[in-house]
Amino acid sequence: MTGSGDRPSARGDRLFPPGDYPLVVVGSGPGGLQVSYFLSRLGVDHAHISADPGPGGMFRRFPIFQRLLSWTRPYAPYERSTRYYESYDWNSLLADEPENRSLMPEIMDGVSEFPSRPEMERNLTLFAEKTGTAVRYGCRWTATRREGDRFVLETTDGEYRARHVVFAVGAAEPWKPATPGLELVPHYAETGPAQEYAGKRVFLVGKMNSGFELAEGFLPWARQIILCSPRDAKLSVVTRSLVGIRARYLQPYEDHALGGGIYILNAAIERIERHADGWRVFTRATLGGADLTFDVDVVIAATGFGSPLGDLAALGVATFNQGKLPVLTPFWESATVPGIYFAGTISQAMAGLKKHGVPSNSGAVQGSRYNARVLAEHVARTHYGWRAPRLRVAAKEVVPYLLSEATRAPELWHQRSYLARVLSFADREGVRDEGIWPLAHFVDAPGGEAVALTIEHTAEGEIRPAVYVRRGGKVEEHVMPSDPLLDFESAEHRKQLRGLLSGLKGVRAST
Amino acid sequence: MALSRQEKARLLGGVDLFLALGPRALATIARRATEVEFPAGRYIARQGEVGSGVFVIARGSARVVRGDEELTVFGPGDFFGELSVIDRAPRVASVVAAEPTLCLAIAAWDFLALLDENPKLMKAVLLEVVARLRATIEHIRH
Amino acid sequence: MNDSDRDIVDILAGLTLFGDLNRPQLEAVAHTFDEEWFSEGQRILRQGFTGTGFFVILEGEAAVRIDGVDRATLGKGDFFGEISILLGEPPVADIVALRPLRCLVLGGPDTEPFLNSYPRVMYRMLQAQARRLRNASQWRS
Repeated sequence: MTGSGDRPSARGDRLFPPGDYPLVVVGSGPGGLQVSYFLSRLGVDHAHISADPGPGGMFRRFPIFQRLLSWTRPYAPYERSTRYYESYDWNSLLADEPENRSLMPEIMDGVSEFPSRPEMERNLTLFAEKTGTAVRYGCRWTATRREGDRFVLETTDGEYRARHVVFAVGAAEPWKPATPGLELVPHYAETGPAQEYAGKRVFLVGKMNSGFELAEGFLPWARQIILCSPRDAKLSVVTRSLVGIRARYLQPYEDHALGGGIYILNAAIERIERHADGWRVFTRATLGGADLTFDVDVVIAATGFGSPLGDLAALGVATFNQGKLPVLTPFWESATVPGIYFAGTISQAMAGLKKHGVPSNSGAVQGSRYNARVLAEHVARTHYGWRAPRLRVAAKEVVPYLLSEATRAPELWHQRSYLARVLSFADREGVRDEGIWPLAHFVDAPGGEAVALTIEHTAEGEIRPAVYVRRGGKVEEHVMPSDPLLDFESAEHRKQLRGLLSGLKGVRAST
Repeated sequence: MALSRQEKARLLGGVDLFLALGPRALATIARRATEVEFPAGRYIARQGEVGSGVFVIARGSARVVRGDEELTVFGPGDFFGELSVIDRAPRVASVVAAEPTLCLAIAAWDFLALLDENPKLMKAVLLEVVARLRATIEHIRH
Repeated sequence: MNDSDRDIVDILAGLTLFGDLNRPQLEAVAHTFDEEWFSEGQRILRQGFTGTGFFVILEGEAAVRIDGVDRATLGKGDFFGEISILLGEPPVADIVALRPLRCLVLGGPDTEPFLNSYPRVMYRMLQAQARRLRNASQWRS
């Protein structure tokens, strides 16, 4: 295990040449940068390669109409660069050093709480520079095989051998379902400037955010806009989650509802034909089954993206969602090929408990950055002999600490029912802070007495803390009251938590 | 003694299963329900038969019997037969009038039509079945 | 581009629960649910835990485990989780994958609206529940 203080002084061909490494990180978007940063801090020697010419990942190109859906508030209840500020900043990467934190608000020009794409790219570039997270750019991973206990990554620069690989290759590979004719249709990723669609009749396949983003962008230009997919549009304000059309893209929905020449259809697409002067789209309505045919100038497949998993499926990595995502363990390791890990947006493939159908934020930076830290700690601890600090918590501090975490911990706030603060309870060792762990691991893991605290949604969309107590080999869930101002440090919360913890080892009865 | 349409509707309205229904739906059921009188000792439904309808007891009482074992007694407002209509499997117990008993009978096809036309009724039946399933599992646990 | 897109719709077309739906409706269902995989030994539902979901098994096998004892086995076409949603109470059993399990999943709050939109699916569910109840040796007919 080599020291983490070494920072390569130059970029270019010298950096991470092909060869043997303990671990390789593939990808230089937010996921790759974040996990590599933490691996370095934890002393895990690794090579870091990327096909791209520079950092930023998907934010080097997307979103097409140039403003993100994730916000950063320059003014918040907490100072920038503090841990608690992270709840108000969805875009900066995490760092141990205060000077490397909260880079996003410094870059934003104040026009909007949503950064522009170039601002986000700059945020990530600055992070890589300031933290010294070095990457061998222009090195494309092309194939994978196993040799004994090593993985061999073939790249355009040569072969890399490692015991462990972290793939942070994003989910920005355009994907289209196998609808006849759709293969001829351009994907969202190929959309040009909005002016190019002036006066056109545009048919958008797909009613997710990418489809609505385009529709919203085309509003001042297109003659007619049709959005089509088999089921209803889901709205974020209704689902109370990031799954659904975000408020910023709701204008086309309002135009449709108020009769403004925008049509939102629930229909399955049977086939698409190309003609000399445009396209003909054949659909069948979900309700009633009526056949509807459209003659339009432009068709765009806003049908989403998959991860460029390359030949990993052939290596044995199980996938799902039509091959778009790998099947993962609670620690984001391939469920079928141990030693292969995933970071960044792909970590959403580990769905966690997904209570009431509300997913985590693992698909976005504000969630995946915490997953990356937990993953780095897991890899360092499991394979590289790193020991977590496991700081002692005084018995009388246990309840105030847990409730403070419930009220303001950004990991728990951004990753509800997904990441948890864990404390262990033992006679001799007393109460120890075990750090942040995936809840999906804790609820089924064996072990001594321990408590995991998370923030969760109710079925009605309220937010409240939940405490999972492991005692006698069984894990029990206890939910605590919600609060309209999200203050979980009330007398009632203290009383309930004291009751739940009484009898655990290392906790005095009087606390 | 025949029941008036209103009396029928009132009786049906008091049945747990039909609580979610409004007056128009209740009137529809009342229209499709026929009154059947059973003297004491007469079989209202037989073990092993495939269910032909749903019965609501208007007056009197009936014993539920499986082989020699009496399982329970039904009184006015109680209903039975809906499970057999839904899964078309043979009844697992017989229902025998304990005294002169008046039932409202809804034929199987009428009951299925009612389910089709009234999603609320279908949901009520679903909830009833599911609650009983949960009670059965609880029973196993203890 | 690959054909496993049709795959889910084809599997759904063969399941009794969705047996009354036409093709566009089956596609809408495939788009409404999320796909999730569970490894062997993984718990999908946990006795006593809040958090609802409606699961339909596409592939694999799961056990209904109550207090550590396996009471039933579920396979392709079987569904679970709906009782907790309909009754508003936590599950009384663990559901554990016996073999890698591929499911379609719908969040709790979305399930009743879904059933209301597809009364034929609700009816098929009702039939299955009636059969389950009968198998659980209830005397009510």
